[in-house]
Amino acid sequence: MSLFTLLRRNLLRHKLRNALTALAVAVALFLFCFLYSVITTLKSAVTSSSADRVVVQSAVSLFMDLPKTYTAKLADVEGVESVARWNWFGGVYRDPSNFFAQFAVDPEIFLAQFKECVITPEERAAWLADRRGCLIGRALARKFGWKIGDTIPLIGTIYTRPEGAAWEFTVRGIYSSSKTNLDESTLWFQYEFLDESIVNGGVQGPKGVGVFYVKTKPGTSLAEITQRIDARFEGDEQRTLTQTEAAFQAGFITMLGSVPAFLSGIGGAVLFAILFSVVNTMMITSRERTKELGVLQALGFRRAIGARLLLFESMLLCGLGGLAGLALGASTEGTFREMFGTQIPGYTVEPLTLVIGVAIALAVGAAGGLFPALQARGLRVADALRAEA
Amino acid sequence: MSSSSQDRRGRISIAGVRKSYTRGTEEVTVLSGVDLEIEAGRVVALMGPSGSGKSTLLNLIGGLDVADEGRITVDDTVITALRADELAAWRSRHVGFVFQSFNLIPVLTAQENVELPLLLQPLSKAQRKEQARYALEIVGLADRAGHRPGQLSGGQEQRVAIARAIASDPTLILADEPTGDLDRTNADAVLQMLRRLADELGKTVLMVTHDNAASAFAHQTVHLDKGALAGVAHA
Repeated sequence: MSLFTLLRRNLLRHKLRNALTALAVAVALFLFCFLYSVITTLKSAVTSSSADRVVVQSAVSLFMDLPKTYTAKLADVEGVESVARWNWFGGVYRDPSNFFAQFAVDPEIFLAQFKECVITPEERAAWLADRRGCLIGRALARKFGWKIGDTIPLIGTIYTRPEGAAWEFTVRGIYSSSKTNLDESTLWFQYEFLDESIVNGGVQGPKGVGVFYVKTKPGTSLAEITQRIDARFEGDEQRTLTQTEAAFQAGFITMLGSVPAFLSGIGGAVLFAILFSVVNTMMITSRERTKELGVLQALGFRRAIGARLLLFESMLLCGLGGLAGLALGASTEGTFREMFGTQIPGYTVEPLTLVIGVAIALAVGAAGGLFPALQARGLRVADALRAEA
Repeated sequence: MSSSSQDRRGRISIAGVRKSYTRGTEEVTVLSGVDLEIEAGRVVALMGPSGSGKSTLLNLIGGLDVADEGRITVDDTVITALRADELAAWRSRHVGFVFQSFNLIPVLTAQENVELPLLLQPLSKAQRKEQARYALEIVGLADRAGHRPGQLSGGQEQRVAIARAIASDPTLILADEPTGDLDRTNADAVLQMLRRLADELGKTVLMVTHDNAASAFAHQTVHLDKGALAGVAHA
């Protein structure tokens, strides 16, 4: 027998009421876990970006192409090791709701620049040998049940074939990613195939290059090379905007506008609402136990003990509810990764998110129990003993 | 838990005690200068009409409330001079309470309820268990140790409350209407038990009661009326 025995038994005293409160906390913490993980997943693409790659786009807009001639000009800039062309393809597989990213790239250079894109030597050779071949991410393959050798038909929305015919790509490799900056939900195909189709195949679409991924030579300062590249094209056909890969990725998050803030706002509002629910539960609990708090004082326990019992009970209640919600959040990581694989690629529940979640649950419990605890602390024993049970 | 006649403790000295409450804008005087001496090891019944100040006097003696004026001394301790935390510590060592509605903690078993005040004593877990068991044996409820209050009769609940009151071997047992919620048979059993605590264990027992039969079990009956001492009768 200890005061913890009393605390534990009190927690189970009104099972339904406490279970419902714990459930409310669990739902709130599950929601927090999900929303916070969405934000950290989006940001992790920035934090895990390569330190030796820069991205060159048009200074006017990301949606404005750069001339193909810039490929060679970029390669001549001091400090540049390799240049890969990237074009956003924007094809539709059966239905627009089946959205996933597709890029036309220079395959050999792309694979050399992105060591985090992991494929077997056989897959690499097969992709390089097939003009119509493509590489797809593991998550994408799982989502649509694609395997090596399958043909993926895509209707071009930016690059349209005559009479709206479908583009057909053969799966030559399924990659996995060793870093979170590269998701596993993208399709890569050969830039030359796209270019040839535009030049000779009657395909309508932009003739330039969307962006250039530039790998720098070892020891090159990223700050210096971004300035050097932009200076090189200052008086050219089009001005460029060169950014580190991290800044480029961060730009996409900025393009989402206030979505991260909005998600944080929703999570915060839910937690705030739950706080009132906890306060309500603990106020009822405190009122019901007024006489018992008086008995504890009469037995010689200091007033603070009764107050602490209420505070810890609230924290325990919220802590248990929070743990349940966070456990659900962690255990559904794989499900959400599948479900939102193309919208939030690489969805991950970080251990830090769980730690923050536990801290929030305990803080909600402490805040919820504080007012009843202060009330209990102010109780005069003679008055408490006169209270109705 | 026993005491010889020479080292009996629990003598209470009350001098000029006044207590009033503010009800709305009105000040209500509950005790208007009470002087009383109570010998150690006696059973004292505090009687009087409702509102005469019996429970208030009991609360003041037990340190549950604070007198406006006057001095209450229990043995060598002037309890009217103690601060709230000091009073709590003093209560835990020297006072056991028995209430009309028993006031057991419903989620704890009889054994655990009796162990509760022992958490404040410097005892090991085994010692606490043993002492609580012994207190339950004294009130004849060792076989109900594992029962919760809801599984006990009213009389049994009050006996558990008495066991809780004596578990830490206090000097004083203060009982507020201990038979108020009991039938005659159980009430008499409780009164006999309180008398035994004084006779056999040397406790000073003060009980507030409306039960005229209670005076038959008391060594001394103190009558209060309108906040003042109206008379003292010795058995």
